[in-house]
Amino acid sequence: MGQSSPPALPRVLIVEDDPILMIALVEFVENSGCEPVEASTIVEAIQILETRTDIRTVFTDLDMRGSTAGMELALLIRDRWPPIELLMISSRPWDEAQIPSRGVVLGKPFDRRKIEATLRRFAA
Amino acid sequence: MTGFVVCAKGTNNLYPMVSSSVPPLVLDPQRLAALDGFDILDTPAEEGFDDLVNLAALACGVPVALVSLVDRDRQWFKARVGFPPCETDLNSSVCKFVLAEPDILQVPDLLADPRTAANPLVTGEPFIRFYAGAPLRTQDGITIGSLCVIDQQPRPEGLTPAQQDALRRAARQVMTQLDMRRAIQQRDALRVDETGAFRAREALRDTQAALAIVDGDLPAALRHVVTGAMRAIPAAEGGVVELLDGAQLVYHTPAGTLAPHAGLRLSLTDSLAGHCATTRTPQRMDDALTNPHVRRDLCDQLKLRSAIAVPVLRGDTVLGVLKLQSSQVAAFTDADLALLGLFAGATTASLAESEARAQTRSQAIYWRGLFDRLSEGFMIGEVVRDTAGQITDWQFVEVNPAWGTLLGLEPATAIGRSVRDVIPGVEEEWISEFAQVVETGEAITFVREVQTLRRWYEGRAFKLDGDRFGTIFLDVTQRVGAELRRNALLQLGDGLRDLTTTADMTRAAAEIVGRTLGATRAGFGRIIGDVEEIDVEPDWTAPGQVSIAGRHRFDAYGDLRTPLRQGEPLAINDVTTDPRTAADPAALQAIGVGALVNMPVRERGRAVAMFIVHDVHPRVWTAEELGFLRNVADRLEAGVARVRAEELQGVLNHELAHRLKNTLAIVQSIASSTLRNVTEREPVEAFERRVLALSRAHDVLMHKSWTAAKMRHVMESVLAMQADMDRFALDGPDLDISPQAALSLSLLLHELATNALKYGALSARTGKVRIAWRTEEGKAPTLVLDWSESGGPAVTPPSNRGGFGSKLIRMGLVGTRVADLRYDPVGLQAEFRAPLADVQVQVH
Repeated sequence: MGQSSPPALPRVLIVEDDPILMIALVEFVENSGCEPVEASTIVEAIQILETRTDIRTVFTDLDMRGSTAGMELALLIRDRWPPIELLMISSRPWDEAQIPSRGVVLGKPFDRRKIEATLRRFAA
Repeated sequence: MTGFVVCAKGTNNLYPMVSSSVPPLVLDPQRLAALDGFDILDTPAEEGFDDLVNLAALACGVPVALVSLVDRDRQWFKARVGFPPCETDLNSSVCKFVLAEPDILQVPDLLADPRTAANPLVTGEPFIRFYAGAPLRTQDGITIGSLCVIDQQPRPEGLTPAQQDALRRAARQVMTQLDMRRAIQQRDALRVDETGAFRAREALRDTQAALAIVDGDLPAALRHVVTGAMRAIPAAEGGVVELLDGAQLVYHTPAGTLAPHAGLRLSLTDSLAGHCATTRTPQRMDDALTNPHVRRDLCDQLKLRSAIAVPVLRGDTVLGVLKLQSSQVAAFTDADLALLGLFAGATTASLAESEARAQTRSQAIYWRGLFDRLSEGFMIGEVVRDTAGQITDWQFVEVNPAWGTLLGLEPATAIGRSVRDVIPGVEEEWISEFAQVVETGEAITFVREVQTLRRWYEGRAFKLDGDRFGTIFLDVTQRVGAELRRNALLQLGDGLRDLTTTADMTRAAAEIVGRTLGATRAGFGRIIGDVEEIDVEPDWTAPGQVSIAGRHRFDAYGDLRTPLRQGEPLAINDVTTDPRTAADPAALQAIGVGALVNMPVRERGRAVAMFIVHDVHPRVWTAEELGFLRNVADRLEAGVARVRAEELQGVLNHELAHRLKNTLAIVQSIASSTLRNVTEREPVEAFERRVLALSRAHDVLMHKSWTAAKMRHVMESVLAMQADMDRFALDGPDLDISPQAALSLSLLLHELATNALKYGALSARTGKVRIAWRTEEGKAPTLVLDWSESGGPAVTPPSNRGGFGSKLIRMGLVGTRVADLRYDPVGLQAEFRAPLADVQVQVH
């Protein structure tokens, strides 16, 4: 977590419990000109959100232990921190109606173009 | 008066025959016939004649006057005065001389006349001396005798003219008397004839009436005939019918003088009756003693002298002979014989009629018996019409015992009642169809239910006379029920195969079962706990019945759990009498349950659910119906198991897809971080996107459990990754393609689109790609796929041929390497071919 560079890049909280996937997600965020903030559990993610105010976007995997955890987090964020943008990735089919407003869900495997385009849009 | 003495002919020999001269006229046959015609001889004295002889004697002043009729050998006095004998022989006759006289014959002195001088009455007592006789002349001029006056004194002067005139007039009066008498006699004889004819007719009519009611009773018929014939023909002293028996005739029902001889057997050759039977002709016999056909020794025994006999026929055969007899010679006339023939004819007719009647009756009994024994129901109905003549109903005229059995009704109670009355709620078709039969006269065949009886009948209805019709039918409830159940099972099989959720299946099964069994409710419920409660899913109900969907506790409805816990069906025919529910049937009745079946659906031997069938009325659940329900439950069990397995398979498929995609993401991630230090990012991204394209194909395949994919779906899925779909025009049949073909097509299109995006049509804003595919028939049907770009920059063949993408494209569809690439100035034109068999999947 870098706190050194003075020109503040848009910060993206990445929530991912798989370390290998985390590497890819971090790369997407960095390629999008954002600064990744990593959380490997929901609890950690919530703690970060409660303690920091600079998170503009949450980028979360919906496929985490406890199958519905990712979606619950997304709903919680929309509820408690409405301005935060939500990008979700999932290996399962999703129900559009369940997705929090302004949220975007993209499938696995990754479509780098769409992911990075979305992150840039949220950061803008 | 002396005139009342009757003298019998030939009994008085006062006057010995003297063969003196007899005038020839005496024996003139015409004269004698005329005399006989008056039928006067030897009849009693009559006042009319007596008066005339008295007047004649008085007028002529003589003591004796006679009406003397000259017979062939005597003279007989019909009336006389002063002369006691009623006749004399012709020797003593003076009157015989009058026969030749035209007028009065006077003999003044009999002693002096040579014709009479020797007359015994002149020479002896009573010494007559004077005679005057006026001829008794018929209207034909034949003299039959004289009216004479006699004196014992000679009278030379004879009668005065006045006396002669008186004598003539008196003689004419005698003739008038005779004529009158004869007329009266003839009239009386006619009356006798008429009486006889009347009696004969009466007897014949009575006999016919009697024959009409004996009805085939032969002895009775013969007795009536014999007695009737004897009444009609009074001359008969005895009568009999002799029945033919082989070569003999046997006496049946003898009457009168023959009465003692019942059973007498005579040879056909021994009797008049035998002759009659043999010749079949009526016979009249005047004297048995001279008849060649009669055994003499029998005549006395049978008191037989004369007889008449006629044959009695039955059809064409001689049955016997009707005979009447008398002990007198020639007692019968031809008229009697003809009359007897009428009696024989009546007998023949009666026998024929009673035989026909007996045959009819035996036929009627036969048919009636058949009708009664028939296992088919048979009935005769008569339609009922309203005032406009429209048929509105029909009533029972006749039904057979099987009718009662087949309908479960007492036959006697139906007769004369309307069908609507006998079977309340009977279907309209039972009236309209039979009405049509009566109206059109065309027979119909029917298979129809009487729902209130819960029975199906198959039969035929046909018109009888007038407004009547008949039907003959069978109860086909079992057969129809079996058909319905079989069809229901087929229908259920189809339904279960096509339905994909257990809820749909149970609902479909409930409806089929409810309708098939004619129940009022059918449903499916999942058993909770140890058969404590049940969750009833949305059920099927007949109109007017409430749904019982929802949770129910078994104990609230009686003692129902025991069989169900053992996995056994529970069938209750009547909730008010079944020991398990009779104590308090109100709870069941409140939800419209009069009878019920709970058929468990088992899973691994345990009842996990059950099929529920209710009927608002008590009913007997047949073994067939329970078997059907068992079958339904088993099929449902199998169907549910299949759906469960498919659902599970679906879950597994999704989980597998999820893991595959996650793994591909991890592969992407590893590759990306492994190649972190590669400065050229393009190959890395190309790799990522190829993985992505592969994944898209898998996505499409997963929809059909990796067995097949829709070709268009595969294309859209992979192309959408690259550009908006409006840049592409897809044109071709939507084939089901194999997983291999789907993966191959995905990667091929991915590379083509990638190139088009980089260098081809899609690199320009207005460029488009048309993708068309078709199948070509032939020895080996082929799929032909055309990729044609337009609207992009002018293209040239790529300089390097070694890239992975180029290789993929040259591999073509499913590795056939049949790829024709033409770099037209307007854009790339590519054609790929592959055997259809390698691409397509036969989906069943």
